[in-house]
Amino acid sequence: MFQKILFATCLREACDHAARMAFDLAQKYDAHLYVFNVFGMPTHGYSQVVTDLITGDEVVLNEEYVDWVKEEIAEYCNQLLKKTKKYSFEVTIGFPHREILRFARLIDPDLIIMGGSTGDPEVSTYKRSIAGSTVQRVAKAAPCPVLVVGYPLPAFWGEYSNVVFGTDFSNASDAGFEFALRLLREQKLDCELHVFHALSDGVIQTGDTNAQEEIRDHIGKTKQQIKQKYDPWMEGLKQYFVEVRKGLPALEILKYADEKHADLIVLGPHTKKWEIIAKDHTSIFEQVIARSRCPVVSVNRFAQGKQD
Amino acid sequence: MLEGTLCNKHPIRTEQALKALLADTGGKKYYEEMKSLDVDRPLLWNTVEKTFKSRMRTWLEICAHCGLCADSCFFFRINDRDPQQVPAYKIQSTLGEIIRRKGNVDNTFMRMAMETAWAKCTCCNRCGLYCPHGIDVGAMFSYLRGLLYQQGFVPWELKIGSGMHRIYHAQMDVTDEEFAETCKWMAEEYQEDYPGLTIPMDKTGADILYTLNAREVKHYPEALAEAAILFHLAGEDWTVPRSGWELTNLAMFAGDWEACKMQVEHVYAAIERLKPKRMVGTECGHAHRATVVEGPYWAGRKSGSPPVESIHYIEWVAEALRTGKLKIDPKKRIKERVTLQDSCNYIRNNGLKEVAREIIGYIVEPGYFVEMSPNREHNHCCGGGGGLNGIGIFRKQRNKALITKRDQIIETGATLVIAPCHNCWDAIRDLEEKYCIGIRWSFLKTLLIDRVEVPEHLIMR
Repeated sequence: MFQKILFATCLREACDHAARMAFDLAQKYDAHLYVFNVFGMPTHGYSQVVTDLITGDEVVLNEEYVDWVKEEIAEYCNQLLKKTKKYSFEVTIGFPHREILRFARLIDPDLIIMGGSTGDPEVSTYKRSIAGSTVQRVAKAAPCPVLVVGYPLPAFWGEYSNVVFGTDFSNASDAGFEFALRLLREQKLDCELHVFHALSDGVIQTGDTNAQEEIRDHIGKTKQQIKQKYDPWMEGLKQYFVEVRKGLPALEILKYADEKHADLIVLGPHTKKWEIIAKDHTSIFEQVIARSRCPVVSVNRFAQGKQD
Repeated sequence: MLEGTLCNKHPIRTEQALKALLADTGGKKYYEEMKSLDVDRPLLWNTVEKTFKSRMRTWLEICAHCGLCADSCFFFRINDRDPQQVPAYKIQSTLGEIIRRKGNVDNTFMRMAMETAWAKCTCCNRCGLYCPHGIDVGAMFSYLRGLLYQQGFVPWELKIGSGMHRIYHAQMDVTDEEFAETCKWMAEEYQEDYPGLTIPMDKTGADILYTLNAREVKHYPEALAEAAILFHLAGEDWTVPRSGWELTNLAMFAGDWEACKMQVEHVYAAIERLKPKRMVGTECGHAHRATVVEGPYWAGRKSGSPPVESIHYIEWVAEALRTGKLKIDPKKRIKERVTLQDSCNYIRNNGLKEVAREIIGYIVEPGYFVEMSPNREHNHCCGGGGGLNGIGIFRKQRNKALITKRDQIIETGATLVIAPCHNCWDAIRDLEEKYCIGIRWSFLKTLLIDRVEVPEHLIMR
């Protein structure tokens, strides 16, 4: 399923669980693992100086410093390096999301793995000049699925009992569904697939009376819509469930995933490029990855092409 | 004649020489070599005799040392009104001395002149506005930089910067192939959000030829995508050149006159080849000054103009808003206290002050825009102009120079600063990093995209 895996790491605690997942997957699939770190952000106009994203120090680029960063990566990965010999360390400077995407465009990976948000105020200048999280921006434009692992893993890859797929019926969601299905089929997983949709408050225009009835009616129709859309693809899958709820989409997905003891959530984040950078706007995807206790896979429209 | 392997009088002519210079971390060896670099006095005086002409001779001679330029200079004001920071003193003690001594100056003098030319003047030309004789010290410092560059007394980063232009025709190591690939990448990435979006390359006879800054390609190609989206939404017939796309010119900051000419001629060649109706440049002040205002003279164009009408990005934006090609959703106007950074290079030195304010009228809700004081042509430099932003050995002076802009911004109470100039944007970014005054800063493109109405036929379904 994966021949080339790109593990984009900030070398901080936020990536620890993602690192374990990355090396496990590389070992399991005998894939080449690219451990990629953007260590410095350009600063001071056209100068050769960068701000080290971990220390905050101003650094003048040279080979010595690059070698030192690679040593840091080796130390960070330490015990994990025993799992595979097929890995390489790649480092660069720039704005992290853009450099991850640039490298992904170059190597064309089958999967990108990232950690959760660092929430680090040290990089505040970067955060304020490029709004929206690195994960969110990468997920939006990555050429392959992006797996976000922010917490200790409840299960190893391939040992899942419950996969929740959240759909909003968009093209990106179609790509997410294809990925979930492919995962289940190729891995011959004996697990439950839950197809979930949340009706946000703005979708249902209720009158003053019979509000509950209208909501029930809308939920019923949406379930039918899901069945019509996805049933033809479910042949051979014994444990396939459909659920629709009303509320804040991110919250409802998280609640449902929790109820079902989900091991994996699959989403197709359908966010227009500029919506993710709007002030005070946090996408559904970002809310889910920030709070999910299980890994989240984002599959966008570009990744759909990759799977074909 | 004693010269170093890195610090010498020779311009960068090969990629190998450029890489060798880059490998000298922070210019350590370069500056060490500079301490023993000989001054070629005959060459210096010969150059002065050929190039120092009546206008500057007159300026130097008629300066009455009245000191009226003192308060106009932000370096003077933030350095405890040090008399050695008075513009007239700074130019008389450097260029004036070279002339008076007929080029008979030594290494120590030249290093002092280098620090004065790059760390005590950003060529913002504000003092010229206040001089009763109209003496333009900024223009004379630009000239002095040329003399210093020729003798090898130029900051390490600017020797690299002009070298980049000589090797890549761009301020950074971005090749034409990489530029083409980036255009393709950005168009692909944004096509679904904006159906039909393309970045047309090398189209002949387009209405607009768009030129930009290599840093946009190298570090934040979103800026290229944003330009494409706005042209797309405005229904413009536009293109980028496969070669000759770099509008900026660090050679101008370096005083590398030969590379200045080479760079603008490269852009003009693209214009001649593609024959657009006009050229629009990105949100960059010095690039506009170099390619549109001064470049024609470097290239020996008798008209004093580029081959076609060439305008700054804010002129195109104002026109698009005025004509209704771009429409701002009134509900999305900026509703926070916001101010505008007037770039010296196209506001004071190219008269676009009202154009910038016309745009503000469209995108900011009435009552939220606060002018800096002073503003328009009287505005102070961001503090990092003229190349100072990028020079490591003068970082301390640059950080101090940011104080004027910091205090101007604080005085407005603004939380957002609109800076349609790369250099200003960088300086304001750096001042926030250094002084943490709690502001955000932005180019125009991002603000426009957040607010512009998408025409019905271009809406993503």
